[in-house]
Amino acid sequence: MRVAISYPPIVNDLGQKAMVSQNRNVQYFKEPTYLLPVTYAQAATWLKRDGHDVLWDDGNAQLKTYKQWLEDLQNWKPDMVVLESTTPVMKFYWKAIEEIKSILPSTIVAMTGYHSMRMPEETMQESVADLVIRSSNVDFVLHRLVDYISNNPAWRLTCSLEGLHLRMRGKEIRSTGNFRQVEPLDKSPLIDREFVRWRDYAFENGNFLQTPGTYATSVIRDCMFGKCTFCRYNGPELTFSMMSVQRSLDEYEDLINNHGVKEIFDDSGVWYRGKEAREFAQGIIDRGLNKKDCYFGINTRFEYLDEETIMLMGEANFRFVLLGYEAADNETLQRLNKGYQLQHVENCLKWLTKYGMHPHLTIMVGYYWQTQEQLDKTVSEVKRLMLYGFARTLQVTLCTPLDYTPYHQECIKEGVLLTNNYDDFDMSKLIVKTPIPHDQYYKAVREMYGIAFNPLFILRQLRFLLNGRKRDWQFLFTYSIRAIRRVRQHIFNLTRHEGIKASKSSIVS
Amino acid sequence: MNKIDYNQQMQTFPVLEIKHKTQNTFCLRVARPNVSISSGQCFNVGISGIDINREYSMYSDAAAPYLEFLIRAVEGGLVSTYLQKLKPGDLVELDGPYGEFCIPPGRINSKFVFIGSGTGIAPFHSFIKTYPTLNYLILHGIRNSDEAYDADDYQQGRYITCVSQNINGQSMRVTDYLRENHLSKDSIIYLCGNRNMIIDCVQILFDQGMNGDQIISEVFF
Repeated sequence: MRVAISYPPIVNDLGQKAMVSQNRNVQYFKEPTYLLPVTYAQAATWLKRDGHDVLWDDGNAQLKTYKQWLEDLQNWKPDMVVLESTTPVMKFYWKAIEEIKSILPSTIVAMTGYHSMRMPEETMQESVADLVIRSSNVDFVLHRLVDYISNNPAWRLTCSLEGLHLRMRGKEIRSTGNFRQVEPLDKSPLIDREFVRWRDYAFENGNFLQTPGTYATSVIRDCMFGKCTFCRYNGPELTFSMMSVQRSLDEYEDLINNHGVKEIFDDSGVWYRGKEAREFAQGIIDRGLNKKDCYFGINTRFEYLDEETIMLMGEANFRFVLLGYEAADNETLQRLNKGYQLQHVENCLKWLTKYGMHPHLTIMVGYYWQTQEQLDKTVSEVKRLMLYGFARTLQVTLCTPLDYTPYHQECIKEGVLLTNNYDDFDMSKLIVKTPIPHDQYYKAVREMYGIAFNPLFILRQLRFLLNGRKRDWQFLFTYSIRAIRRVRQHIFNLTRHEGIKASKSSIVS
Repeated sequence: MNKIDYNQQMQTFPVLEIKHKTQNTFCLRVARPNVSISSGQCFNVGISGIDINREYSMYSDAAAPYLEFLIRAVEGGLVSTYLQKLKPGDLVELDGPYGEFCIPPGRINSKFVFIGSGTGIAPFHSFIKTYPTLNYLILHGIRNSDEAYDADDYQQGRYITCVSQNINGQSMRVTDYLRENHLSKDSIIYLCGNRNMIIDCVQILFDQGMNGDQIISEVFF
């Protein structure tokens, strides 16, 4: 079969492109960030290995216009097109699928991704997609499904592979039941980097201090914790799958020795902890990969890594450690099911900094319950952590209900959603009723990003130079130039609705 | 920029009892937080001194005036080995409850098969304590027969151990049991514990014609 794994370029009215960011969130940016979709890259590799013709068709990273992308797809004549959905681009996709089907009527369009997997009926009703894959393990499902379709012309009628919504002839939809929640990740092939044009993603990414950088195959699929209410890796249908430490180490070795990669980031919801984390770090050291001038980055949680493990990670040359801080009040953390207590934050950050890593805080504002006091507390604590050198970088987002996560469903149940138009869910403005005016949250965003320009923060970065670590020099002289550009963009994006009068319902009396 | 004293807000609870079930496995009983809890949920149990926590599924009746966790002290594991050494009156931090590995009210009268390995039995023990009239069968995959924790708590004939290192030379895994004994087609199957056990069991269940809507999994490790 001829299978295209496709990402059409999506451009908004401001000329910004829809970029996939951390945890598969989509935001619109003018400055590009190209992230390799690792599970889909594994799927492409697997299908190719199975003997299918595969097109790695990322219109964004390949700098195509929508028209160009569509024409190229038409010329390639795929038997199947695979698309990845998330809430803010759903309406775009429904229309795009119609266009694909109008020029390629016999092509099977498969929708995947966290929005469609939670709302398969909606996708089937609102679009002419042929099927929805409800599993996040698209590599495993496509490996089984494409083979099945190749050998069974009546697949719509006969296919019983689990986790699918299939369009029968006519309007009837057939479900094959829930998907396999756990898959043996060691069986999915490591990504064929050349095939997925890894260099397209190796430079334009704010997470890389050195380039070329790349994303590793995620060692954890979905999330080991998986309880945070706003996160798409949460829900009764999800648990987690894990790749073996040795296999991940083999991949790192290949990336460093054969591709010359200088920074590797693993975007697993949370990376290994405990025994596996130590085994991995020790493995990097034992293989001498810590001496190859390549930095490593991960997502983790507060209260997951102890000092001994962090020390070993430091020795292994880990640098970028991304932590979901979210807010500085326990009520919010409890409502979000964050599963950590704030008194442990400082020690974790201290250890990371002590052993040479650059902790990156992710913060959200605009929860539908967030009061001025809670917001002020968050801004003040974030300032303290940044100015005192506990954390090195941060990102602030507007908490946006997405992909029918528990938080999204809670917003619907509580009646606080201000819009049902999926185009509004692009994280550029608040779309929930809040106890204080939206402008207060935009102001907080501006204030937190403004820390980067605070003389105390800059002085702190200069003091880090005394450690004599190359990464601190790079941080100040290379990264900061890029960071300023990106910080400006973030401030523009997240505050451009400031001063625009929110609908009356946005302020609850 | 005054530092907030979060220690004042710390949620700590006293240990009430520790029962050592085997050399490595113990039941930790702590005071119950004043929150609504569903059977099958988990808590993050943490230790102030080392600033880390781990998730543990509740072992006790959801309505009990205490919380119990069945924990295996993992070699090299910081939290589990620390918890093993606690004494009554010591404090632990608790966050939670979390999770949806529960029995929905509309399904309470179904026929259940609970398949767990090692301490993956914990949520199922909580289920049968919380819902005494449940129609269930438990398959418990264990390495040695001494890991059949609190076997007397289960109704006769409803708890089957599959011992992989039996001293009589006979060994059985839960996968062997499933291959030899087809489950009733209308069963709701919950799996909990080791991920490889879950992967293998699910494959067997699909091969036997079970539908994914009947299978709910929770990986421990």
